[in-house]
Amino acid sequence: MRLSLHINGRPREVDVEPSQTLLDALRETLGIFDVKEGCGEGVCGACTVLLDGRPVSSCLLLAATTAHRAITTVRGLEDDGELHPLQQAFLRHGAVQCGFCTPGMLLTGVAYVQGHPGADREALRHAIEGNLCRCTGYAKILDALEDYARETKRG
Amino acid sequence: MPGHDERKGGLGGPLLGPPYRLVGRSVIRHDARDKVVAATAYAGDWAMPGMLHGVVVRSPYPSARIRAVDTKRAAAMPGVATVMTASDVPHNTLWTDVPGQTTEVGPLRARLHVLAEDRIRHQGEPIALIAAETEQQAREAAETVAVDYEALAGVFDPAAALEAGAPAVHDQGNLLAHWRVRRGDVAAGFARADVVVEGEYRTQHVDSAYLEPESGVAWIDSDGVITIRLSTQVIEHFRDVAEVLGVRQNRVRVIGTYLGGGFGGKEDVTVEVYLGLLAWRTKRPVRMVWTRQESLLARAKRHPYRMRYRTGALRSGEIVGQEIELLADSGGYAYLSALVLLYSTVTAAGPYRVPAASVDARVAYTNNPPTSAMRGFGAMQVVFGYESQMDRVARALGLSPLEVRRVNALRRGDALPVGQVIETHVALPELIERAWGALGEPTPPRAPHVKVGRGVACNLQPYGRIVWLHDWSSAWVGFEMDGSLVVRCGVPDVGGGQASSLCQIAAEILGVPLEGVSVHIADSALTPLAGTTTASRQLYMSGNAVLKASRELREQLLAAAARMLDADPAALEMADGAVRASDGRSLALVELLRGCARMGVPRSHLGIYHAPAGEPVDLEKGSGKIFPDYTFGCHAAEVAVDTQTGRVTVLKLAAAHDVGRAINPQSVEGQIQGGAVQGMGYALMEEVVLEDGINVTTSFASYLIPSAGDVPDVEPIVVESGEGLGPFGARGIGEPPIAPPAAAIANAIEDATGARVTQLPITPERVARALGLVEGG
Amino acid sequence: MPTFAYLAPATTEEALAVLAEHRDDAKVLAGGQSLVPLLNYRLARPRVVVDINGLPLDGLSVAMGTLRLGALTRHAALEESLELARSCPVLREAAALIGNVRVRTLGTLGGSLTHADPAAELPMVMVALDAQLTVAGRDGRRTIAARDFFTGPLSTVLAADELLIGIEIPMTRDMGGAIEEVSRRAGDFAVVATTALVRVDRRGRIDDARLAVAGVGPTPLRVAAAEEALVGSEPTAERIARAADAARASVTPDSDAFVSAAYRRLLVGVLARRALTRAVTRALEVS
Repeated sequence: MRLSLHINGRPREVDVEPSQTLLDALRETLGIFDVKEGCGEGVCGACTVLLDGRPVSSCLLLAATTAHRAITTVRGLEDDGELHPLQQAFLRHGAVQCGFCTPGMLLTGVAYVQGHPGADREALRHAIEGNLCRCTGYAKILDALEDYARETKRG
Repeated sequence: MPGHDERKGGLGGPLLGPPYRLVGRSVIRHDARDKVVAATAYAGDWAMPGMLHGVVVRSPYPSARIRAVDTKRAAAMPGVATVMTASDVPHNTLWTDVPGQTTEVGPLRARLHVLAEDRIRHQGEPIALIAAETEQQAREAAETVAVDYEALAGVFDPAAALEAGAPAVHDQGNLLAHWRVRRGDVAAGFARADVVVEGEYRTQHVDSAYLEPESGVAWIDSDGVITIRLSTQVIEHFRDVAEVLGVRQNRVRVIGTYLGGGFGGKEDVTVEVYLGLLAWRTKRPVRMVWTRQESLLARAKRHPYRMRYRTGALRSGEIVGQEIELLADSGGYAYLSALVLLYSTVTAAGPYRVPAASVDARVAYTNNPPTSAMRGFGAMQVVFGYESQMDRVARALGLSPLEVRRVNALRRGDALPVGQVIETHVALPELIERAWGALGEPTPPRAPHVKVGRGVACNLQPYGRIVWLHDWSSAWVGFEMDGSLVVRCGVPDVGGGQASSLCQIAAEILGVPLEGVSVHIADSALTPLAGTTTASRQLYMSGNAVLKASRELREQLLAAAARMLDADPAALEMADGAVRASDGRSLALVELLRGCARMGVPRSHLGIYHAPAGEPVDLEKGSGKIFPDYTFGCHAAEVAVDTQTGRVTVLKLAAAHDVGRAINPQSVEGQIQGGAVQGMGYALMEEVVLEDGINVTTSFASYLIPSAGDVPDVEPIVVESGEGLGPFGARGIGEPPIAPPAAAIANAIEDATGARVTQLPITPERVARALGLVEGG
Repeated sequence: MPTFAYLAPATTEEALAVLAEHRDDAKVLAGGQSLVPLLNYRLARPRVVVDINGLPLDGLSVAMGTLRLGALTRHAALEESLELARSCPVLREAAALIGNVRVRTLGTLGGSLTHADPAAELPMVMVALDAQLTVAGRDGRRTIAARDFFTGPLSTVLAADELLIGIEIPMTRDMGGAIEEVSRRAGDFAVVATTALVRVDRRGRIDDARLAVAGVGPTPLRVAAAEEALVGSEPTAERIARAADAARASVTPDSDAFVSAAYRRLLVGVLARRALTRAVTRALEVS
């Protein structure tokens, strides 16, 4: 079936099978590898995209159901080649090790902080409970998120 | 190199300042930049024209004989390009050979089939391979492979496996290895002890559970070289693939991608041999990516241990004897089990002076899933044993747990029970003090039914490989004509900054900005081999190789500069992208490089670092060096126990380690925090649950790894004694932080409630039972 | 995942017609948080997937003493609804406990109820609230009480050609409610969960008490023995403890690979007491 997807602000026409997940359509059909498969059941968060600004598991969405909705992957966070403040915060704070969880963490963090500017560390911790990380122990990710949340409150 | 700077023996405090420009600074890693914009192509992020998809067909039974395998239907399914079984594999044997081994110590050289022939020894054992146009078609075909099994009796407990009459997992019997240490007179030690404390401890199977499942793509390149691009901790497995295919080793190339986590689970051969077979057979590119379910089912686990400790001590707290028995479960195949047990044997008594010790460490085959390498590698499980014992000894004597540890802590010049003398500084007293101190004011319980307690645990973890393996690593460093620097090194990067540390070191020595360094890693055809990213060895080994290459290159270049400037080379240094003379003259780097070209002076250098080597030690009778050195640590935990439900919340965890030198402090902190959280998962929630060899935890919904909501922020305490064998005095830090949390938490629970949990994971139910809240089944 | 035909009906009638035609060969897709994992792991192989997200089945309204919720109401909508915070805070508390933020973005009330996981929060809360579930079929609509809707683990009275379309909850504004649960990891399914709702009359006596538990049987349960122990009495700690004991004594959970029956019983007692205590505190605030 032919679908019109809206990815990072750009319309993309794509042919998908009804049984293709959005994760699969992005990676296999469109060659967009921003999203990763970590578990196939929506637990790990590596496949997170924003759907109309809200985090969803792309491994649990049939591509067919996402036509005409705004899909944001991590590459949609950059502004004209400049890193998003949260991406910069991740670098400053050493919040990236193997990086497999990073795209999902960034999207989840951006979505949450935009809805809750100035959120404190405990709220941020709760916000990323659904994004598993095996490398960092979460502390530096929370450092970066706190920094970004403080910035959004000021700005 | 060790101790070459004025901070030998200098402890703690802020990290290095001058004379280092980059080393000791928390620079942003080049791979981190790529990762925040998802530019990193992980092994599964790779597509090639005409690519097929491969899947493995596996046994659902843990113990069976294969009577027949019928693949006719599968081969005829839509899109299927090939179906392979054992008879299609040119040499159907994989040796788990500890790479670089110079002596064949029987149980260290283990074998298994690539695809099962007539016998199944564990659930998930591979039987067939299928490649098809789409993954969907491959999976559908896999479901039609008909295997005629004859169920066989199985054995699922290592103690049962060692009893007479147990089903034989392998013809040679179920005892795989037995390491012994006998030192001093333990009986005499116990006789003069004021207390002898006994304890039995059990640990569980756990999974590496990296976020990135096993994945890779293989193809045959235009020179006919079988090329495999995959997520692996060991690119040297190209040799294994070549042996299996019956081709020369120089006709197989492994390109290691930046891993989405390794933790030991990607140390053995995983998908590379299947990819090699399918690409070789179909002559087309083939991708294989395991599902999480498959990864949890099929990948080797951490060894579960049953441990019995008897510890004798004097009233002063001084340990006078340790009698230790370890029993581990190797599962259906040996993999690296014998080596894992050896690590346990050497570290079984902990970072303490023990004048008399006897250790018996055995590992048995069962029909459970195979067990192999995982972060900590046998030196982890025993921490739960020896650190639980230390607290019990303290309680029996009415001493503080900190005091008992201080009294017995190893010092430079002391020997481990296996006889190895510790040659570097042991920072344990400082680590204990700083970890404990970091807990700060006690947290008041938030409700009457909540009790708060504190505990500590110390550990030692070897870094670098066993000395009789004659370990070495190599790296190439060279300048391009425009002054940009290239580092080539075979080191796989598991996410711990292995590649970026090399850039930092090279840039430091050669006086160039970090942004001017480009690094190529982990290509068995194009980068000098650096050995495995395991055993906390890469900063030590490859760091030293790059250090050596950079220093030797600098020497070469400064000799050329001296000629160009008519100066004494000893008065020249490389800094700020130039050569500077002590009299103020300078030579731009680009000019120097042009001059080298004119004079025929090479602008590159290959550095080879050899670790101090030794001869094999008979653990029981002899004594001598086993590992090059150790990293010491101490963690302190504060926990809250809900005494009505048994639920444990870790309120605080401080993790102190002597890392020798922190090349990138932020990276070191990240290793400590990440390792400690993985350790908390081991302590509290991770468990591969097996029912007669059948794994019932093959999903992330049932195999639980900690989320941000389950653990506190770990406070990393980085102590730098300056005395490591790695570059600038660094020690390995990859593994040490994972081991202490379990014991620290168990000790804290006892402090809070008086109840001791001796089995991992410490689930709410186990605590409830220890508190007497639940009886029966 | 195995292939299937995908249909996205625009009206409830169309959806019902498709279900009537394909019956057990069809699966309904709402939020997908329970269905799609089964598809990904090849544990479900429907011939047809019927996407009902286009049907006019969302919406939350309060009228005439009844809270009405469309089956497609997302968990996130429940969590964020100010109206719900006013009129039925315990339902909002339940929604916030579900899974992770991604599950809550897409997961639906109807999906959770028809999936009927024995440990899930929403089925338990519906049973506590005496919710009425409206089910549509080719022959019209019928209403089923929540406590009659769940028939076993992952099974309900819903026939293959029926759709759950709405939920009605008699208002409990004057009741205090609370949920207590223990899970093995933050955001996971509960091992055991309890929901308590209590109303205290002007004489300071409990005149309505509800206690529901999840994770101790094939379906969520109302514990009549505990409720009877409370109605007509003052809400003392002693009374609450007795009700909790009654709850613990009345459940017969099974052991599984992770948690024993005895521990589940222990948790029922502890969590019932805690939920009732908090519910009473809230009841006294609203009374």
